Amino acid sequence: MKKRRKETLWAYLTSAPSLILILLIVVFPILYTGYISFTNMNVYHWFDFSFIGTENYKRALFVFDSGFLGALLATILWTIVNMVLQLVIAFVLASLLNIQNFKFRRVYKTLLMFPWAMPGYVSILLWKTGMFNSQFGLLNQWMEKLGLEAQRWLATDVSAFICCTVVNLWLALPFMIMIVDGALQSVDKSCYENAILDGANWVQRTIYLTIPSIKPIIAPSVIITVFTTFKQFDVIYLLTQQVGAKTGSNLHTILTYAYENAFVTNNYGYSSAVSIIIFVMLIAFSLLTRKRLREGE
Amino acid sequence: MSLRRKKRLRRFFGHSALHVFFIVLCAVTLIPILYALSVSLNAENSLLSSDFRFIPKHFTLENYKEVFTKQAVMLWFKNSAILAVSTVMISLGAAIPAAYVFSRKQFAGRRAILEILLLLYSFPSVLSMFAIYKLISPMGLVNTRIGLILIYTGTMAVFGLWNMKGYFDTIPIEVEEAAAIDGASNFQLVTKIVLPLAKPSIIVTAIMILIYVWNEYLFAITFMTGAENYTLAAGLYSLQATEMSGSWPVFAAASLVVSLPILIIFFAVQRHMTSGLTAGGVKG
Repeated sequence: MKKRRKETLWAYLTSAPSLILILLIVVFPILYTGYISFTNMNVYHWFDFSFIGTENYKRALFVFDSGFLGALLATILWTIVNMVLQLVIAFVLASLLNIQNFKFRRVYKTLLMFPWAMPGYVSILLWKTGMFNSQFGLLNQWMEKLGLEAQRWLATDVSAFICCTVVNLWLALPFMIMIVDGALQSVDKSCYENAILDGANWVQRTIYLTIPSIKPIIAPSVIITVFTTFKQFDVIYLLTQQVGAKTGSNLHTILTYAYENAFVTNNYGYSSAVSIIIFVMLIAFSLLTRKRLREGE
Repeated sequence: MSLRRKKRLRRFFGHSALHVFFIVLCAVTLIPILYALSVSLNAENSLLSSDFRFIPKHFTLENYKEVFTKQAVMLWFKNSAILAVSTVMISLGAAIPAAYVFSRKQFAGRRAILEILLLLYSFPSVLSMFAIYKLISPMGLVNTRIGLILIYTGTMAVFGLWNMKGYFDTIPIEVEEAAAIDGASNFQLVTKIVLPLAKPSIIVTAIMILIYVWNEYLFAITFMTGAENYTLAAGLYSLQATEMSGSWPVFAAASLVVSLPILIIFFAVQRHMTSGLTAGGVKG
């Protein structure tokens, strides 16, 4: 018994530096955000803020004009569109790369990995200035060459959504292709030979053989990607709403929405409430998926 | 015979079409990077003219010269390097013992802490920024390197702990027991047996932390003021924020210079990346 207690103490002492860091930078901000979410802290009440109960939560969840529900819908749409496109494109490309006796596939794979290897924010900024810029961006140079009118690509909600999706796909596809490619290579080849002998065509083989066999292998990575897509901040923020350089679109995901309310309009109390709502959703989602994953094993 | 030939012919054309497809795809994929490269090397400032070409008529290294001499890039590089190296050292120093203990010892609260950490980790760090400001501002750490190092090590601590704990779990405990029977002391056990075995995981963890610090711009621009304190990421962000056609070639050159070390590291360790990461995995 005494030895057990000594061991516990020793374990906590050894992991103390790590746990203290986590307490300071991970745990404290969540608790503090939770606390501020019940106050009216904003730019006018920086020190003398007071408790206002669940007012901020009510405003976020029940007042549609506050913008949170709109941002939430946009985020859900964003996640679905991105994940569907990502999975379909990655599956098609990985399948093509796995065609038998196809030469140079490693060269193509390496070249296609570049968007993943580049620092994310650099790529996004290059897209913003190099491709979408309305004066000297490449897209508008091409438009001009085709005799079309130059566009302000990031100025409206819909075109900004499409541009952000393109950039996000560009950034995220290499990882997904690699995951699906790895999964495809682990599928037993002899099953295919039997299926071909039985007269199954490509579509049948894909639906009944390939997809069921790669599903459990890619599931964890897909779930992680769903999270990162849902929590995507950099693409939308850097492309359309850098402080002092907004492009005119009003596209918000819940993360950029929370950020703007904290750092642009300085509604700290309200922004904290939004943060906590996001956190609760993420936790619920992660508990749910972890349970599903475990059952699937 | 003729059937085989027909099949071969079909495959030849099929593969040729596939090659064309992939060559086009790779070219399209690389356009943003190649365009930046070509702009950065172009001597004529022909950005606004319509006869832009991917291979510039007149080469110049002027933009790169400007990056290294006129801009504070070398200073930012130094700042980034100091931050990255200190963060990696402190993170590993804190995470390795913690990960080892959480993997090997049974103690009260172990499972609970591991589970809670994983849940807390889903809180996006962007949303912590305001609270972290409130925390480190009274400590006088705003606009200091120590402040940023604290934030970065804290942000990566859960990842380091979980990732290396997962790897320690895969090392059979019998190895250590055998060494203990052979008379190895606790210290020897760790330095001679455990650390060398965990090397792949330590390297991958270090690289992930390094890349994180190298690419982090949001905390860097929020908590540091004054161009002399910027990291490379913050400096690059500030370069593009003044969006003028004149600064775009310099920005393009700077972007590629900043990305180069990351590209080299990425392709050097790509093969080990998956094993070092997934061996740890998300599974408890």
